Amino acid sequence: MLRVDRRLLQNVDWALLATALFIVALSVLSMWNLAPGRGGTALAWRQLSWVGIGLVALLVVASVDYRSLVRVAPAFYVLGVSLLVVVFVLGRTVSGARRWIHLGPITFQPSELFKLIFVLTLAWALASRAGEPLVRGTVMGTLALLGVPFLLVVRQPDLGTALVLIPVVAAVLVGVGVRLRVLGAFALAGLAALPLGWLALKPYQRDRLLVYLDPFRDPLGTAYNVIQAKIAIGSGQLLGKGVSGATQSRLAFLPERHTDFIFAVFAEMWGFIGCLVLIVAYGLLVLRGFEIAASTRDPRGRVLALGVTAVLAAQILINLGMVTGLLPVVGIPLPLMSYGGSSMVASLMGLGLLLSIRMRQFR
Amino acid sequence: MDLGPRPGGPRDAWTRRVLALAMLTAIGFVGLLVQLWYLQALEGGHLQEMSEKNRIRLRPVAAPRGILFDRHGHPLVDNRPAFTLSLIPREMEDRDTVLARLSVLLKIPLTELRESLDRVPADSFRPVRVRRGLSLAEVTQVEERKLELPGVIVEVEPQRVYPTSAFAAHLLGYVREVSEEQMKQGRYRRGDMIGQSGLERLLDEYLRGRDGGERIEVDALGRPVQVMKRDEPDPGGQVITSIDRRIQEAAERAMTGHAGAVVVMDPRNGDVLAMTSSPAFALDRLTGNLGREDWRRLVSDPMTPLMNRALQGQYAPGSVFKVVVAAAGLQEGSLTPMDRTYCTGQFHLGAWTFKDWKEGGHGHVDLRSALVHSCNIFFYQAGLKVGPEAIVRYARAFGLGATPGTDLGSEKPGLIPFVDWKRRRGGRAWQAGDTVNISIGQGPVLVTPMQVARMMGAVANGGILWKPRLVQRVEESDGALAYSTSSKMRGHVDLSPVVWAFLRSALVGVVNEGGTGGAARLPGVLIAGKTGTAQSIAKSDSARGQDHAWFASYAPAQDPQVVVVVLVERGGKGGQVAAPIARQIYQAIFLEKVAMVALGGES
Repeated sequence: MLRVDRRLLQNVDWALLATALFIVALSVLSMWNLAPGRGGTALAWRQLSWVGIGLVALLVVASVDYRSLVRVAPAFYVLGVSLLVVVFVLGRTVSGARRWIHLGPITFQPSELFKLIFVLTLAWALASRAGEPLVRGTVMGTLALLGVPFLLVVRQPDLGTALVLIPVVAAVLVGVGVRLRVLGAFALAGLAALPLGWLALKPYQRDRLLVYLDPFRDPLGTAYNVIQAKIAIGSGQLLGKGVSGATQSRLAFLPERHTDFIFAVFAEMWGFIGCLVLIVAYGLLVLRGFEIAASTRDPRGRVLALGVTAVLAAQILINLGMVTGLLPVVGIPLPLMSYGGSSMVASLMGLGLLLSIRMRQFR
Repeated sequence: MDLGPRPGGPRDAWTRRVLALAMLTAIGFVGLLVQLWYLQALEGGHLQEMSEKNRIRLRPVAAPRGILFDRHGHPLVDNRPAFTLSLIPREMEDRDTVLARLSVLLKIPLTELRESLDRVPADSFRPVRVRRGLSLAEVTQVEERKLELPGVIVEVEPQRVYPTSAFAAHLLGYVREVSEEQMKQGRYRRGDMIGQSGLERLLDEYLRGRDGGERIEVDALGRPVQVMKRDEPDPGGQVITSIDRRIQEAAERAMTGHAGAVVVMDPRNGDVLAMTSSPAFALDRLTGNLGREDWRRLVSDPMTPLMNRALQGQYAPGSVFKVVVAAAGLQEGSLTPMDRTYCTGQFHLGAWTFKDWKEGGHGHVDLRSALVHSCNIFFYQAGLKVGPEAIVRYARAFGLGATPGTDLGSEKPGLIPFVDWKRRRGGRAWQAGDTVNISIGQGPVLVTPMQVARMMGAVANGGILWKPRLVQRVEESDGALAYSTSSKMRGHVDLSPVVWAFLRSALVGVVNEGGTGGAARLPGVLIAGKTGTAQSIAKSDSARGQDHAWFASYAPAQDPQVVVVVLVERGGKGGQVAAPIARQIYQAIFLEKVAMVALGGES
């Protein structure tokens, strides 16, 4: 499998790769700009090393035939679910949520990796009977299969990841041809089940979730971030304040400024023009993903490409929506930009999958 | 982007649907650009201005802690507004100078101020509390020098107040700022005040409430100009305890000057009406700003004021244990009320001689008079007849050797030996001498005052062992019931009615028929009880080697309503020291009855 033949190399999607590398470079630059000379340098170096690891992972994923990955998806599924269970047992609690596993000096966030496993599972479950008409049983079975890890993620509680998974499933179901009416019915059923889940939670967990949903319940935490993020973005105006003028970011008004709120930092420094460039880059990335999905003939490749693209698109849109104050605050990193190894590696591996599908389209 | 039909393939349904999804996503991206245009181009100037001044501060508004009430609705604690000195790290431009000024002004060690700031990021806007409970004079001093002290603010927060400094200290527990260790649980915020012991800790989740917050606009010097938004805090829930404040006060008054514990319990339902341990600690000082030095002194005090002796103090029960021996013997048939012996004051077992506490002995005694006069010689023989296995079995049935289950935590189980216990621990087999020792509650037997209260409760109510109940219910600030408890039976001592009647009659005799508990006698209320004088372990230390004094009792004997157990550490004889304290407490409980008898001149 690792024997790369020349036809594969000829079909590498250089545009996709270049766009991704451009965004990643902006990420490392932003880390360094956050606090040049102080913590920023260390931050930038660490981010850079994550990029390196991520690129290696990307190459490995791209050179493996994605079809064999889909074939062994059940194994990944079991591995992923067990990792999520391990988080509960060994996980480290950071600000009230158990999401991290300690591996020596590295903390690892299984729910990031799980987004990819989730998509692989989707492709396995929905595309394994290619050619046959889609029956209700298959869809229900798929949803049941995904329900277990979904609930585990919700219980961490990692509402951000959970909220990303919902549009991903919806997009893939639309893609494979589930009618909107059926999808609507699922949505209604989900809404109806919410109160039941609510009853199962302990009072302090309800409290936590409410703070997630309504930042003003925690007036000193998230609401403060939103206000300061808006000020940071807005004060960047058209051309930005440059690195040294970005007081909002440099003076640390944003507690999560290098992770979930990195876009606010970028927007303050580079203004609307900078944001335009970044958003266009993200747009190209995502649309390219959709194109790969649209032009693939292999059913497994189709679902996989669509799923990976949807994961990226959902994270980008929800994160940017939250930082710009359009959506409530939930903890979601901005793919390829936010500081953090798990997210960076998982995003690059996702792109590796897209490249892999693209390369094998033409055979 | 070319999403159209590829050469050779028609644009199939899949392609159309993916195209639709791509369009949807593209709309999302356009929406983002519109919002960015709005923020950066249209609102940009205004937000730019805000970023320059950054005038918005968020301040926490502490929720008032819930109040604890006694069973009749009298408050046991209250809140009052108190001044807290806080620092806003971000606003302290010349940190060292400001801290130095503050240190001199309020006589707070500079290192203490530095340490509290070192734990938070230097650019945080969140106020860091450095001292609570400022006096009015101190507040004035800070406010007068406001301009020299940028970043220093005085906040008003609710703080606990107590009727008296040490009132029900162990029961209520103290409230203190969350420690570094507790921060790691991830449930608290830095600076949160949380219950650290007693009911305050047990019910902290209910009592704490939820803090609110204020968004305020400040001027260039950080002085508040106006409140832009205020989220009111949710006050904590109200706790209705089972305590009777009047009895608690009486118990504490009666114990003044003694070390030890008192437990008052309702034998009909297990409600704890009073629980005190002395010496106590000053709740108000622990809750306010106790310096590190004072804290160290408190923790290392040889009298261990932080220990709740009612639950954690383990003492030999002394003669109180004779009740267990008598119950075991009568029920098992190895003793009868007709058993008699002649007490010479000495008992020989092999090479050993055991003495009675009374020089010259009690003369002719039977089981009842042996209990009434607490004759050791009789019980040495009785113990050998009953046998250690039966004694131990009945002791366990009476709840000794197991934690009583108050939920307060750190309850001690005491010690009831297994008969092969000695072999395991000391490498020596159980011997007849051990049986003789435990027959009078000495040797390897330890109990806590709460256990003894439960045991006396069982004698009073015919065998029911209650789970001691301290909390009746918790109501949220809006009156909704958050939590309630009912009386729970934890065990039952099965003795025949004849045996119970015999024991109760003997216990009445102890107090009212010239027995060892005569000092507890109270005209108007028929008290039943048993004295105990337990050798303390530190026998060699002559100054501290006095015996522990016990008095375990209930009243009125005809219709028991309260159990009163008094333990005085190294107090001397139970009948001389503990019984009068119990009498004082009964006097307060049965105030009306006692007064009526006194007025009527009847005895």
